[in-house]
Amino acid sequence: MINRKLILFAIFLLLLLALPFVISGYWLRVLTQTFLFAAIATGSDIIIGYTGYPAFGNIAFFGVGAYVTGVLMTKYGFSFAATLPLCALSGIILAALLGIPILRLKGHYFAIATVGVMETIRELIDNMTELTGGGLGLTLPIMSGEPEYIYKFFYFAMLGCMLFALLISFIISKVKPGYALRAIRVDEDAASVMGINTPVYKTFAWALSAAIVGISGGIYAYWLSYIDPHTVFVGTYSVKMFAMILLGGAGTVMGPLLGAFILELISEFVWSKFIAIHGMVLGLLIILIILFIPKGIFQTFKGGFSFRKLMANLKENSL
Amino acid sequence: MEILQILINGLLLGGFYALIGVGFSLVWGVTNIINLAHGALALLGAYITFYMFQELNIDPFLTIPVSFVLLFALGYIIQRYVMNLVVKAQIFILLILTFGLEIFLVNFMTTFFSADFRSVTPEYAGKSLMLGDIVIPYIRLGVFVICVIIAFVTGLFLDKTWTGKAIKATSLDIEAAMMTGINPAKIYAITFGLGTALAGVSGTLLTLTQAFSPNIAGGLTLRAFIVAILGGLGRVEGALVGGLVLGVIETFSSYVIGESYKNAIAFGLMVVMLVLKPSGLMGRKYYAEVKH
Repeated sequence: MINRKLILFAIFLLLLLALPFVISGYWLRVLTQTFLFAAIATGSDIIIGYTGYPAFGNIAFFGVGAYVTGVLMTKYGFSFAATLPLCALSGIILAALLGIPILRLKGHYFAIATVGVMETIRELIDNMTELTGGGLGLTLPIMSGEPEYIYKFFYFAMLGCMLFALLISFIISKVKPGYALRAIRVDEDAASVMGINTPVYKTFAWALSAAIVGISGGIYAYWLSYIDPHTVFVGTYSVKMFAMILLGGAGTVMGPLLGAFILELISEFVWSKFIAIHGMVLGLLIILIILFIPKGIFQTFKGGFSFRKLMANLKENSL
Repeated sequence: MEILQILINGLLLGGFYALIGVGFSLVWGVTNIINLAHGALALLGAYITFYMFQELNIDPFLTIPVSFVLLFALGYIIQRYVMNLVVKAQIFILLILTFGLEIFLVNFMTTFFSADFRSVTPEYAGKSLMLGDIVIPYIRLGVFVICVIIAFVTGLFLDKTWTGKAIKATSLDIEAAMMTGINPAKIYAITFGLGTALAGVSGTLLTLTQAFSPNIAGGLTLRAFIVAILGGLGRVEGALVGGLVLGVIETFSSYVIGESYKNAIAFGLMVVMLVLKPSGLMGRKYYAEVKH
């Protein structure tokens, strides 16, 4: 069973490595965007899925990462690669500092406090005009080289980021601290009684997820080559990321990634076909996922597809 | 004198915040749903007023009942046929569901009503009450008084009517409420309908005090949120206090530190409140306690 999964994954990986040499620039862009979401969703799943803390505003770290890369490259002449570890570090420091007060909150309160954090950071960056360009935005140095080469560069950079997120998530699922996180999700008090230092583990999980989301933000900034507070602190991304995690299955290694592929490719399709109403369709899609497949498609359709299972999901949590 | 003027401006703004917070807080306290579409629903009320004023020349204040009734119906349907299906799921499922609704509504409004900023300016828009140096625009005063009256009536409804008591009973103990013959599915729908209707009315009143577009939905929701946190969940008095506190703090901080840090201060305030006293200024332990 493990071997079959491994072979499937190897085929998937080879396909992704070979694809850029056959597909058009448009599809390169779509896939790069998909990897971005897969990385964010996989990284965020560490705090959301494994630990059970709905970090609704996790995109804050994405924005901070984007600005770390942006500011360091434009104002301090850093090379792109050198900024990425600092993106991760900024996420870790921020999550550790914020974690002390905020991870004491639970459920709704935690979710919304993270949104508050995101909005506050956005506004601070918006106001730090000297350093960040404020509302005018920040233009990053454009990479030199042929467009073809640049497309491929970001494709592989984002793929690398996604695989890194996947690796971290895989390790977490296998090692002892990962079990501690899951114990916290199931019953935090019981975990504490078992001798798990819950504040430390929760902060650790959040910092790890912040690091991954931060790196993807850094790559995104260089890819876009122009950022402003509203393009990197996007509430909609948070929601999409959540929908992806749920669609694929929270707290699993491959779930968020597959959710990202499915949702991003669908929304790309909708976007290209129904440009005027694509926002409405996206909203509707999210509502339908929540209603019918909140446990993820793999959990729901373990023994094959059936409408009865969809209806059973619908009834399970109804009043 | 200037301080007094700022204080009055803050209180007038706070009255509006209180109204947008009341419905939100009520829904959260009773059904445990954080309705992230609250601001978008409020804007539907704003557009009802806008079109009735523009096309039919009806005074904005007279459109309040229309907003109330139409949005009550919409809210009732949403809760009865959509939300009730997932209401027992984990909290973030509900959070994303309402956000999906928000995305849908905002894009719906952008598509059909356009993303332009709109405003409603009746003839009496520029007139003010002068008390010495202090200026109080009649419209803002009217909006404030109506907000407080509606919040007060909502409180009376919850305390004095059978339905209101049933709502409170359901929020305290859903199983016990069922045993006394209350149908929680219906009560949830009525509560959500009421919350949405109050959002709609606040949208109607919003048109009189500022320009609006579909894009301000998120900002309104977050204001409602902060009010609910500051005041304590599910309590009308709490939302009133929370709204006034937020209005005054926001106005003062705009004056002292500058307009551009207004949101950061409001959010900072919320996070501090969450960490220090999650039950809010007026929250009580047993009433509308957070269920995980």
